[in-house]
Amino acid sequence: MASQNNSLGYIMIEGSEIQIRGAALITDSKGFPLDFVRTDPLRPEHLARILYGDSFGKYAKEKLILESLLDALEIAPQLWICNDDELLVPLRDKSRVKSVLLEVSPHVSLEAAGSIETTADPGVFLIQAEPTGAPLRAEFPAATRPEEIQQVGATLTEFSQTMNILEPFTRLEKALNFLATGRS
Amino acid sequence: MALSAMRDFLARHIMRRIDVYQIDDFNMDAPEIIRLKQRVDTHSVKPEVQINVTRPFDFDQEIPCKTTRLNFAANETVKTRKHKIKKYTKKDVKTHNISFNKKIRTWKLLKQIQALPQERKNLLKLQKKRINVASNEMILAWYWPIVDKAVLKLALNKQRGTLLVWYTPGSRHNKARGVYLIRRLGLGEKPEWRWV
Repeated sequence: MASQNNSLGYIMIEGSEIQIRGAALITDSKGFPLDFVRTDPLRPEHLARILYGDSFGKYAKEKLILESLLDALEIAPQLWICNDDELLVPLRDKSRVKSVLLEVSPHVSLEAAGSIETTADPGVFLIQAEPTGAPLRAEFPAATRPEEIQQVGATLTEFSQTMNILEPFTRLEKALNFLATGRS
Repeated sequence: MALSAMRDFLARHIMRRIDVYQIDDFNMDAPEIIRLKQRVDTHSVKPEVQINVTRPFDFDQEIPCKTTRLNFAANETVKTRKHKIKKYTKKDVKTHNISFNKKIRTWKLLKQIQALPQERKNLLKLQKKRINVASNEMILAWYWPIVDKAVLKLALNKQRGTLLVWYTPGSRHNKARGVYLIRRLGLGEKPEWRWV
């Protein structure tokens, strides 16, 4: 997998215990897709669900779907962005690329673009990537160094000048829904 | 016999005496003791299930697990009277091979997702500084950031009030701008896009 600066990676794994599927999208700084991979839906057998219970979902996400997606991608992004806390650590460990969980926060906007504030939750920060609007809620894997958090904050602020950081999740969701149902 | 009976009758009613005999030979058999305990055959109902896993989990991390208690109706009693319980059927159990580590097929669909537009929300409410417009003009929306020189197509989603943006594949332009949607008041006037 070739490493490419100036690109962000988005990963989404969704579904229930009956069916799980995933997709990964690499975009350039405009949000334009550079690579996109999706998996076939995984339908675990009933016996497998009984034997492994709750741990099967975690295993399926990490071992089956995530590894398959990472193996199939040709480009390694500068930063992985996910919306599922179960993927945060395995994404970093398996890809050896920084990872962050991003969500819209309900807080008022911070002072200026690029501002980073700590929260009461360990490993969770508020990052004002865009000049206006609410800051992003950014969750980092445990033991992420402060300078890495600063780097991620700077990367998100830089990319926010040319794209909407969370918008690719909308396209990923549309693509997965379209592939599942045949309707966008 | 009649004399003996008469003597006993008279002795009992007149003399108030009665003959008492000692029994020396009391050779009765000991009562037979029969045990009422019944023997019940017990059989295990645990099915002999064999599961062959081709490759077990090889997680890097610890997995939290919990056990589930199985109750085999311990509070229910089975009454046995004369018959033994023989309700037990041993069936052959089929075995299956289960693979939890099968390779998931992946698909490259870059062209399909490149055809999907990006969606920009109307950020007019969040904008701190706005452009000055003429008195007969009204700002309807503000969309940002859009790399205007890389735009292949723009379309307004009137239902959602969002702007759909398609970029030219391979464009190296990377400078973003914002675009206002401005309406001119008056008959026959059309909305206008104004880049800033």
